[in-house]
Amino acid sequence: MTSTIDTTGAKPSGEPDSRRGSSLLRAQVFLRGTDFTLIVIALVGFVVLASTTGGNLLTGGTLKAVFQYLAVPILVGLAQMSVLAVGQMNLSVGVLTGFTAMAAAWLMVRAGLPAPVAVIAAVLLGGAVGLANGLLVVLTRINGFIVTLATMTVIDGLRYGVNGTGTFQNYSSGLVSLGQGSILGVPNVFILAIAVAGAVAVFFRRAVLGRQLLASGGNPFAARLSGISNDRAIVVAHTLSGLLAGVAGIVVVALSGSVNASIGDDLLLPSFAAPIIGGVALTGGVVAVLGTCLAAFIVRLVDVAQAQYSIDRSWVDLIVGAVVLGAVLITQVRTGREGRRK
Amino acid sequence: MSAPTQESDAMVTTADPGVGTDAPRGLPFWANPRFGLLVVIVVLVIVFTSLRSSFLNTSLTLVPMQQDVSVFLVVGLAQLCVLSLGHMNLAVPRMAAISAFAMGWCYQHLSVPLWLGLLIGLVVGAAVGALAGWIITATGVNSFIVTLALDFALVGLVSLLYSHVGDGVAFPVHPAGMTALRNDTFSDYCAGNICGPPVPLIVPIALVAALLVAVLFRLARVGREMLMTGSNLRAARLSGIPTSRRIIQAHALSGALAALAGFLLAVNSGAFSADIGNSFLLPSFLGPVLGGTLLSGGAVSILGTVLGAALTEVIRTGLNLLNFSVQDLNIYIGLVLLVALSLDRVRHVLAERRGTRA
Repeated sequence: MTSTIDTTGAKPSGEPDSRRGSSLLRAQVFLRGTDFTLIVIALVGFVVLASTTGGNLLTGGTLKAVFQYLAVPILVGLAQMSVLAVGQMNLSVGVLTGFTAMAAAWLMVRAGLPAPVAVIAAVLLGGAVGLANGLLVVLTRINGFIVTLATMTVIDGLRYGVNGTGTFQNYSSGLVSLGQGSILGVPNVFILAIAVAGAVAVFFRRAVLGRQLLASGGNPFAARLSGISNDRAIVVAHTLSGLLAGVAGIVVVALSGSVNASIGDDLLLPSFAAPIIGGVALTGGVVAVLGTCLAAFIVRLVDVAQAQYSIDRSWVDLIVGAVVLGAVLITQVRTGREGRRK
Repeated sequence: MSAPTQESDAMVTTADPGVGTDAPRGLPFWANPRFGLLVVIVVLVIVFTSLRSSFLNTSLTLVPMQQDVSVFLVVGLAQLCVLSLGHMNLAVPRMAAISAFAMGWCYQHLSVPLWLGLLIGLVVGAAVGALAGWIITATGVNSFIVTLALDFALVGLVSLLYSHVGDGVAFPVHPAGMTALRNDTFSDYCAGNICGPPVPLIVPIALVAALLVAVLFRLARVGREMLMTGSNLRAARLSGIPTSRRIIQAHALSGALAALAGFLLAVNSGAFSADIGNSFLLPSFLGPVLGGTLLSGGAVSILGTVLGAALTEVIRTGLNLLNFSVQDLNIYIGLVLLVALSLDRVRHVLAERRGTRA
């Protein structure tokens, strides 16, 4: 069922985090939680992959690439997660990433702006598009799915409008060397993605605004009665989603050294896969930053396996689809069992 | 049992605009979204014709337009079937693709006649749709996630099938009758001096599909029960409707219609190829949503879907004639969708306000 903004019916109230209780209880909750399952899967997958490729995965270059190209999936996953938190969807995440990447490159190549200015402008552009999404949803009262489906089409056109099918390259060499560089063997872009994930986690866990978003997503009716503006929550969530997509766009620009308008075509489905595998409910009220990052890592492992064994590219989609379904089924079975226990 | 289903008439919009059961009581006729769509289509046709007289050229514009509308109408119907439940089917594109593979394979290797291949394709589509429906009912997982994941899986499966079982990316096969279906219009068939109208042969196929879906949701008990299920699942279950079976049936029908759309597109483009269905996702929502079908379920409008599909095609063709690039086209189609939906909202608010004042 799609979550509409005026759905006030009884929703399964998600448990964002049960932080109250003894540390023992907390440990038990953790061991039974999605995050723990994902950590085990990620570790097992990594070890199996590393050993079956004869240690090839652990050589410097390969290992670095694994994490370098993990940054964008994490960021778009978080962008989708932010709107899922209020029970919305953002179908424009993928094309928006491509659009901001093209805009940043255009600002540097054509407008001749220095890299820092272009980077900030592109992130703000992402935020502005997200804000527009949110305002459209709130003002027209049209289902967020349809609004972002429409804006996805518009942004898709804008993305190609920047430079047609042409490629931008040779922009800021400083930005590219920063994007491809690493500190102590850890790629810079991966550090950036983790830092952003940390900020998002703090926002939803500690900030009043973040808690209000979750309250609004979990039960809009109760949130309204407690004086929280559901409209504002929706606008904020979409803006945050746009900002994160903007950051993802910047990472693409910094990482690849050349960008064209096809960027973002293959990001929409992963943007849903990461949060959903990570344990975020489509009905809203739940976020799982760690789960989203771990799920993005697992999806990345499938990608790496494809490259390492030189399997047909099509298997990746097939496997990821199966993993998403499997993850959802497991969650469903577990909640069913816990419900019975209570 | 039949009494409560009949009473939900006010909720259920239907193929016939003249019946008047579709507008909520007290709303003026112009609050009907179908009426607005018709006005917009007429206005746009006048505008485009005055800008480019070739817009009404039969062979250049009108015939291809009818072919495209037929495909998008069936695509919209595929989505509409699950929207009636309040579900979504994001796998419409890939259900069309895998059915097109099945059809192409049968034509190529088994040399089956055209109709039998189509039937096989419909069965494959229905089976995949039923699988989606079964997963949804068996697990209670949101249809969005299930069909999204299914789409993921089918993307991989379809290209694997084409590269391993098929040869490359397409079946270059032309079973008997396919070329005629593609190129001919009824004006090519004459009885004496009287020839048919310049309507492509695939148009009746799409119209029959629309009519059957309309009859299903309007008159058939199964269809009424699907709408009841979409409007209130618990109430439907408590009144003895086998809701799980209805959900599976609606998804199976969606898959079969997606297969039909894939067939029509293959006929139009002349080959059963791997990229069939790629462009289906947006149109599948455009038609029904513009036509006033609710995403929340319980109400469908087949006539609205026809008009919605026609409107999108008019815009696309018109902008094409005005030399807009494909990318600009996307911008405008997206904007039109937003404007149309916002206007719909405005109209509704105005109508309600007038209704309360009166």
